[in-house]
Amino acid sequence: MAAALARFSRRALPSSSRLLPLLRPLSSEAASPAAAAAPSPPPTSADRVKWDYRGQRRVIPLGQWVPKIAVDAYVAPNVVLAGQVTVYDGASVWNGSVLRGDLNKITVGFCSNVQERCVLHAAWSSPTGLPAETSIERYVTIGAYSLLRSCTIEPECIIGQHSILMEGSLVETNSILEAGSVLPPGRRIPTGELWAGNPARFVRKLTHEEILEIPKLAVAINDLMQSHFSEFLPYSTVYLEVEKMKKALSIPL
Amino acid sequence: MFLPGDWRENPNSNSNLVSRLWDHLLLPLLPLSLSSRSLQNPKSPNSTLIGASMGTLGKAIYTVGFWIRETGQAIDRLGCRLQGNYYFQEQLSRHRTLMNIFDKVPQVDKDAFVAPSASVIGDVQVGGGSSIWYGCVLRGDVNSIRVGSGTNVQDNSLVHVAKSNISGKVLPTIIGDNVTVGHSAVLHGCTVEDEAFVGMGAILLDGVVVEKHGMVAAGALVRQNTKIPCGEVWGGNPAKFLRKLTEEEIAFISQSATNYSNLAQVHAAENAKTFDEIEFEKVLRKKYARRDEEYDSMLGVVREVPPELILPDNILPDKSPKPSQ
Repeated sequence: MAAALARFSRRALPSSSRLLPLLRPLSSEAASPAAAAAPSPPPTSADRVKWDYRGQRRVIPLGQWVPKIAVDAYVAPNVVLAGQVTVYDGASVWNGSVLRGDLNKITVGFCSNVQERCVLHAAWSSPTGLPAETSIERYVTIGAYSLLRSCTIEPECIIGQHSILMEGSLVETNSILEAGSVLPPGRRIPTGELWAGNPARFVRKLTHEEILEIPKLAVAINDLMQSHFSEFLPYSTVYLEVEKMKKALSIPL
Repeated sequence: MFLPGDWRENPNSNSNLVSRLWDHLLLPLLPLSLSSRSLQNPKSPNSTLIGASMGTLGKAIYTVGFWIRETGQAIDRLGCRLQGNYYFQEQLSRHRTLMNIFDKVPQVDKDAFVAPSASVIGDVQVGGGSSIWYGCVLRGDVNSIRVGSGTNVQDNSLVHVAKSNISGKVLPTIIGDNVTVGHSAVLHGCTVEDEAFVGMGAILLDGVVVEKHGMVAAGALVRQNTKIPCGEVWGGNPAKFLRKLTEEEIAFISQSATNYSNLAQVHAAENAKTFDEIEFEKVLRKKYARRDEEYDSMLGVVREVPPELILPDNILPDKSPKPSQ
């Protein structure tokens, strides 16, 4: 099977004329900065797709990096996972989020959740010497509209809504960031503390009861995730619509 | 016996998986004269050569497959009927990436990357080498939006224009060349000049001008009619002057724009792939997943990684070309 495939890969490539124009600009033009191009005349390329019937793909592999989603993790249908992204079991990524691991790794740990319209990205290098990957460990709750870039979040933390974590920031175990807080590059939040503000400042120590509440919140969101997860069938039936549409427009299948 | 180039185009892998299963289960049972190609699209022109060899058995199995598929769809409809009013039928995507408002048509350069989940609406011009990332909204419905070349507008950002503000001015949004607009930024009726930097989650209100090499820090809210002078960093809510930019940081801004336009080309190529190419690469990737270069070199085997799976190395750190100036 594999040998046959390799043979076909050679044969199929030159024959598919659509693939080549895509690959060529990547190899030749990518070397020169596109920014240096002179201001071009107002162009509209007629072959740019205005409407893709497939919509946005949820999983976008880049080269050999394929985003991995555990079988019991919930990733909402309009989330974009690109490149080196791993969503571990029990984790949930809610609607409108973008996890783009094209420069470095992104992991969402066990039972963690990334809520609506978050953006997780990773930089090439981090100023603190920590690995520049965005790693979210277990039982972490990340609020809606948060922005995380190359930061490390240790187990059992809460990141409030609309917070921004910049390169190389580190949130240690059992810490809470209030809503709207901004962590500058390389800031470390010590264990068991509550921080807030722009830029984030120390507010107070967390009590023992609050620390115990943190994983409970993550588990509660995990329960909520289960009900969303069970609404989706493993395969959608949209292909029937496509077949119907193609038949109606008399395009050969 | 995969022939990826001939797989039918489907929006998801459902029927594909089925067809792959069929390939595994049925093909060994079938005589060799019946290839999967003749099974799957007996009417396509390139199968006429093989179609001649497609015998009665192939036709019979094709018909049986059709019956079973009809049965499956009937069962699906029955399930939907049982779910009653709660059942949700999935539709084709109706999201429009580029959309016009009456006669205002977005003009996007052919070298620009617009993610399929972004919406570019109305009077918007995007220059060459620019990138509009996932989930962005550029809504030029009441006024115009100009995005220069080499600019990147990162994920989930919103660019909008003002129809009327308190002073009655009507403001377009102009974003210059080689600008970096961070994730989830909101730009409303403002002017961002060349090689400026708008950090993650920043909000720029009406009439804001960010001059060349100006920088808005992450999470800043810049209030109406603020002018951010050349080479300064502003941050906080409301935004205040923080410090001057160093030479290195100014160089970094143009570097980051270059990096992003390289990265955008990779994403553009990936997002423009047809269903056949996606499936083909999936199979290739599976085949090469277990190959470890070190292990192979120990054995003295040299295996080529297929060209589809190699990313251009200018997106890797320290390998991207330096900006021209």
